[in-house]
Amino acid sequence: MLSVDINSVSILDVENRRALLTDIKFDLEKGKVYTILGKNGSGKSTLIKSLTSLLPKEEYETSGKVFFMDTDVLNCSEEILREIRKHNVRYVFQDAANSFDPLKKIKYYFNLSNISPLKIEELLLFFLLPTYKKLSILHSYELSGGMAQRLLIVLALLANPDLLILDEPTSGVDYAVMNLILLKIKNFVRDKDKSVLAVTQDINFALKSSDHIAYLSEGNLTQFYTPDEFLNSTDDKLRNFINSFKEISNVVT
Amino acid sequence: MSLLKVESISYSVVVKGENKKRFDILKNVSFEVEAGEVVGICGESGGGKSTLAKVIAGLIQPDNGKITLDSKLNNKPSNPIQILFQNHGEVLNPFRKISSIIDETLTINRIHKQFIEKERENVLSSVGFPKELYNRRGFQLSGGEQQRAALARLLATNPVLLILDEPFSAQDVESQLNLVKLFKKLNKEFNLTMICISHDLIILRNLANHVIILKDGEIVESGKTNAVFRTPKMIYTKFLLSAEALDLSYEELMSESDL
Repeated sequence: MLSVDINSVSILDVENRRALLTDIKFDLEKGKVYTILGKNGSGKSTLIKSLTSLLPKEEYETSGKVFFMDTDVLNCSEEILREIRKHNVRYVFQDAANSFDPLKKIKYYFNLSNISPLKIEELLLFFLLPTYKKLSILHSYELSGGMAQRLLIVLALLANPDLLILDEPTSGVDYAVMNLILLKIKNFVRDKDKSVLAVTQDINFALKSSDHIAYLSEGNLTQFYTPDEFLNSTDDKLRNFINSFKEISNVVT
Repeated sequence: MSLLKVESISYSVVVKGENKKRFDILKNVSFEVEAGEVVGICGESGGGKSTLAKVIAGLIQPDNGKITLDSKLNNKPSNPIQILFQNHGEVLNPFRKISSIIDETLTINRIHKQFIEKERENVLSSVGFPKELYNRRGFQLSGGEQQRAALARLLATNPVLLILDEPFSAQDVESQLNLVKLFKKLNKEFNLTMICISHDLIILRNLANHVIILKDGEIVESGKTNAVFRTPKMIYTKFLLSAEALDLSYEELMSESDL
């Protein structure tokens, strides 16, 4: 589905160039959920943005290749890129409330695409959101953080993409909704042509939701492990992260 | 008396497009917080947790009820109740240097010029904010770093009660563990009283002496953390605990939302 071979993503300063990511290589297969775990500031969001050239060219330089199906994403025209972003690869970004224009009503985001009202209601109901009639007249600032997050997922799913990219899907979300997101992700890839790539720090969610997990630290990505392999990995880069998880789960005294 | 007394707080808003119908966000919420305690508040999104925090800090006026803070403590230049907000990215001015943000707060709180540098170092190092980032601006920091800077600014006001609104949700486990240890340290060393709002039960098990379970603006259960989480009495609390394991079916989830 997606084949990534990025040599480096660098941020350009006036004087120097700082590499944020190096040697990022992985392939995403259809029908699977992939998660990249990593700490604050490890470059997770930069990584997913680099996959479809979302990083501003004035500030970032990406060298390498990303193939979506047969399209060379980093070297194709703006038109093709826009089509891919609209139909094939959809993102749900972190800090959901800020993904909306506060001056526009929620209706605006549904009007952007032609989707059957039935499908909309079904998804809103699934995610425990108000009905379209109630929701569409609101502005984004009238939604709670959790609602905005779920609404973004609904909007991404309505586009019926091939690849769904989630940035911190469980941030600020309660357990009931986490269960819902998990069920929906699993259901989404059950259709064997779809896959999900999530980046998160939520190791618990990653272990429950993913087929494959990799760890990003200091700009380097480990291989993808199965959840079991990940928990028991002897890779030094992962140990601190996994040990902290085990320590906090056992209650710090 | 208790440090904080929350008595019969109710708060409602007008629902848009529904003929001025009012929607209750908080219904008759009462509890007390003793000095030096950490009280956890958990519950689902939209359950009224953040609204309750804002009412307690005096940012919004409740329709009914009373908030009392032990008054002899109440003579500071800054609000003695400080909130660490959820959307920390919006709390810091993205264009200002962290050191200047902290210095300003210290100045407002009447720290003498000659002590400012030392105090700045004290607050920032107490939250584990690295020295090489002091001169960065808000937008140059990651989410977790912004949150630490925002926390440092609150501590610079020397608050009586600190309300943490989902402080852990943007953090990785290593930082969560460090934050848990940090809040425990702040609580122990400075006897800082805290209310911690979190939907993350792991965090509350680690941090809170008492917990309050909030659903649809009402307290459904409260008590000592261990007691509530080990032997929950109410169906909703039991549901929360089973949802934590992330293996509920859709039917199980739905049967709860009907309650």
